[in-house]
Amino acid sequence: MPSATIDITELLARVEDDRELMRDLLLIFKQEFPKHLAALRDAVSSTNAEKIATEAHALKGMLSNLAAHPAAAAAARLEHLGRNREVSQFQAAFSSFEKISKDLLLQLDTCMAEVSG
Amino acid sequence: MKILIADDELMSRTLLQKTLECAGYEVTAVENGRLAADQLCPVDGPRLALLDWVMPELDGPGVCREVRKREGQSYVYMVLLTSKESKEDVVAGLESGADDYLTKPFDPEELKARLRTGLRILNLEGRLVEAREQMRFQATHDGLTTLWNRVVILDLLGRELVRSRRERISTVILLGDLDHFKSVNDTYGHLAGDEVLRETAKRLLSSVRSYDFVGRYGGEEFLVVLNNCHPAHALARAEQICRTIAGTPVQTANAAIPITMSFGLLISQEWDALPMEELLQHADAALYAAKAAGRNCVKVAHPKPSSADEHAQDHLPAPLRH
Repeated sequence: MPSATIDITELLARVEDDRELMRDLLLIFKQEFPKHLAALRDAVSSTNAEKIATEAHALKGMLSNLAAHPAAAAAARLEHLGRNREVSQFQAAFSSFEKISKDLLLQLDTCMAEVSG
Repeated sequence: MKILIADDELMSRTLLQKTLECAGYEVTAVENGRLAADQLCPVDGPRLALLDWVMPELDGPGVCREVRKREGQSYVYMVLLTSKESKEDVVAGLESGADDYLTKPFDPEELKARLRTGLRILNLEGRLVEAREQMRFQATHDGLTTLWNRVVILDLLGRELVRSRRERISTVILLGDLDHFKSVNDTYGHLAGDEVLRETAKRLLSSVRSYDFVGRYGGEEFLVVLNNCHPAHALARAEQICRTIAGTPVQTANAAIPITMSFGLLISQEWDALPMEELLQHADAALYAAKAAGRNCVKVAHPKPSSADEHAQDHLPAPLRH
């Protein structure tokens, strides 16, 4: 697992050390993330630039709140590509985002266990 | 303090809501800009708002524009939440009517500090509005009795006369003067005289309807405007007011002072379209007649009948024949 996919220190500061709130946010993320990821995948498949920008924007916001900076940066790149209709780069950028997301989801489970425990 | 949060993203909304509830705010959270505008536009809506920039239905700047279109309502302090950082974006956001912006993801301490800035602005606005209302009251009311002052009561009378002519109804002018008020001041002192004036104002107000007007016309002179008052009832109503004034002595700090008031009454319908100033002169003449008749009574001002009108005068309702 890559280190610092989620910056736990920053996340704790954001929730002002409220671990219950942190757990709630992680749960929301776990529920919401797959929906947006699937929508983004569809948008990339159909080269729907506007939809890519919208979904990537939503994912960027969620990931930023989670202090998941590498994934947030990858989502920001996709949003930028979508807004500029740079169709040729959609697939590569999405693959990169998906790879980072897999690492993130692994770390998320560890975090959940820590916060819940 | 009520605050509105508008953000379509659930995580962000939850984080904002919890952070602000812990800071003591009463939070309403909505998921799109249309709902935000609907919450902020009513008079009793929240006066502090955190608006995400990118939202479905209506974006943050769109909400700001809608809220700023309202007129004559309390100020709403709006902060845009944005991941947009370019100068052009910030300028566009502020141009839409936002007061401030905060870059996402936000730092909780910075968020609370910026909202405290908003609260300071809102408090300042509250104090300015209060001061303006005080000045408006002082400019329109008599300082001693808190009745309408002379300028305003004359303005109200003027408007009412125009309306009554247009609608062919009658406005009754009642000019009252406290009897022997100089001797009240001479005997009991000016502070007691002030108490008598204040109590007289209360009694006048208590004896008219909520939509009638009462103002201080001069030192111990008062002007009462009875709106849409049927001529047949005018004298009876004036005499009732006269009895209310004289009903019980005014209890001042040092003495119970008996008071009475004389009234000149004028019914606008009987005077065609004479200017207000002339009507007041005739009401004043009737007031003098009441003084001459022994005070504590009402005298009615009637137009001098032409020979052709004299016969018609005989058919007026009984209370109006003098």
